[in-house]
Amino acid sequence: MLSEHLPNYLLSHRKRSALSQTEVAFLLGVQSGAKVCRHERFTGEPTLQTALAYEAIYQRPISELFPGLFEKTQREVKARAKILEQNKLHSNSNALTTRKRQSLAAIVSAKLNNQLS
Amino acid sequence: MEGENALVDWGVKTVKGGDKNARSLSHVGNLIAHYQPNVIAIEDTRTKSSRRSARIRALIEEIVILAKDENIKVKRWSRKQVNLGFLSDEQGTKHALAEYLAARFPKELTLRLPPKRRAWESDDSRMDIFNAVALAEHFLRGRG
Repeated sequence: MLSEHLPNYLLSHRKRSALSQTEVAFLLGVQSGAKVCRHERFTGEPTLQTALAYEAIYQRPISELFPGLFEKTQREVKARAKILEQNKLHSNSNALTTRKRQSLAAIVSAKLNNQLS
Repeated sequence: MEGENALVDWGVKTVKGGDKNARSLSHVGNLIAHYQPNVIAIEDTRTKSSRRSARIRALIEEIVILAKDENIKVKRWSRKQVNLGFLSDEQGTKHALAEYLAARFPKELTLRLPPKRRAWESDDSRMDIFNAVALAEHFLRGRG
């Protein structure tokens, strides 16, 4: 039993689809299944185009296919949003700044993605 | 498994020739390194009713030692205990349990369900997938 999210769930989704690594490689437009294997073993991260191709193949949003990576990125963005919220927006209180504050508050309070379906 | 409803990986690894236990243990080590589980649920072969061979019993003990070395909890149940948990009958068949699990995880396991074994046939290797999932489910039910 796993305690936290894996970097990605490409293997689970491929097995559910009954596709082989070679077949997924063909769908991705790459020459062999080696690249698919690397992604599934977490030894390489796909390019944005490849990640979008995975989304098209498995019919799941990228954040659901790569929840571990998404959570890590989301945590980093939240931390930066907090800094921006605290450092930059003290002085002014015009409409633009208010909107910025709301945007940053939404980023900071967003829930972490924690569901695998 | 991750959470109570997600199967992350399932399948059968076949090891042929040489020191099968050493090679099997190496595969288990790779799986542990890859998935970093916090609990491993495994069959308890120390009971009198267990019909596992001496080699498999030894392999299971080696897996337990490996898991403890990696600070992973190990939970062990006999087949009778698992059957009681799912079928309310310790004599329940493996196939009945497999059918239950295939219905529980249709996307993952339906295609792996072997035909019912006839008396003169040996177990289909795919049944090991269901045995493993049953142990994981049994652990999660007990925890919940």
